[in-house]
Amino acid sequence: MSNGDMAAKIVVGAEIPSQQRTPDAVDLFTFSASAWLLHRIHYDLPFTTEHDGHPGLLVHGPLQGTYMIQSVQWWLGPTAELKAISYRHFAPAYLGDVLTCGGTVTAVDAESGTFSVDLWVRKQGEPTPAGGAVEPTVTTSGTATFRLPTS
Amino acid sequence: MGASDMGLLNDEARAWAKEPFEPYEVTVSATDIARYARAIGETNPIFYDAEAAHAAGHSAVIAPPYFPYTIRMQAANLRHRSELEPDGSSSEDVPPIETTRAMAGETKIEVGVPVAAGDTITLEKRVIDIYEKSGRSGDLVFVVQEFRFTNQDGALVMREEFTRIYR
Repeated sequence: MSNGDMAAKIVVGAEIPSQQRTPDAVDLFTFSASAWLLHRIHYDLPFTTEHDGHPGLLVHGPLQGTYMIQSVQWWLGPTAELKAISYRHFAPAYLGDVLTCGGTVTAVDAESGTFSVDLWVRKQGEPTPAGGAVEPTVTTSGTATFRLPTS
Repeated sequence: MGASDMGLLNDEARAWAKEPFEPYEVTVSATDIARYARAIGETNPIFYDAEAAHAAGHSAVIAPPYFPYTIRMQAANLRHRSELEPDGSSSEDVPPIETTRAMAGETKIEVGVPVAAGDTITLEKRVIDIYEKSGRSGDLVFVVQEFRFTNQDGALVMREEFTRIYR
C-alpha cells in the first residue's frame, strides 16, 4: 500500500475494520504458555468455577489488549508502530464468547507523525428469554497512539 | 490498622508495597519471540524469519509490541512451586492481605524501541500504588505495579503500569 492510500484511511472518525476474535482453549493455553503465565483461571475450569465463582475460563486481559493493538496493525501494517496504549476491563470475557474488536480514529497529528484511536473489545450478548435484540457488552476498551505508517 | 482501612488493606500490605524487587535480566531468543507471535496469531514474517526482518530494516527478527509482557510474567512465575500461590500466581506479586481471588484491572503502556532477537532486556519493577475500594461484591484491593524494560544499550523498550485487583 502506498503512503497516499494509508493517509486517505487515517482520518478523524475513520472506523477501524472490526475483527472477530473468538479464542478457543488452544489460544488460551498458548498465550499462557508463551508468557509462562500460571494463573489457574485461564486453564483450570473446576478451580475457576468453584473457587473464583466464574462460569467459565477467562480470556486474559492482556490478550484482549493485544487484540486491540492488532486491530490497528492488521489494518495498516506493522510500520504503524504502537507508541502508547491504555485500557481497562469492564466485564469478563469467557472461553467460548464471540469477541469482536474494533475502534475509531480520534486524532491525526501530522507534525508529530502520530494518530490516536479509541479501541474496544465486545462480546456478543446472551439471548434474552423474550428473544429481543441483544446488545453486545464491552469487555475491554481504551485509547492508543500509533506512529503514522511509512509504507 | 489505619483509620481509613475498610477491612482488607493493612500496614503489613503497605510495608510490602515499599519492598524493592530484584531487577531481572534475560536474553531474548528468536524462539521466545516466535512462541508469543504464534500465541497471538501473527503471520508477518518479520516476527519469525531473519531475512524478512532484515528486508524490513531490522537487525534480527523483532517482537510484536506487547512482547515484554511475557518477560515480566516469566520473571514473576518461573520459580519453584513453593514460591507460587495456590491459584498459580507468583507469591512475589501478591500482597499480604486476606483475599484469594485476583483479576486484571487497568493497563497503561508506553512503547520505546522494539525488542529484537538477541537483545538482553532488564526489567525493573516496583509497586507504585496500593489502595482499597468498596465494590458491589465487597471490598477490593488495587495493586499498581510499574514495569520498566530497557535493552543492552540502555534504551527504553516499554514502560507499563498494570493494576491487579484482589477481592
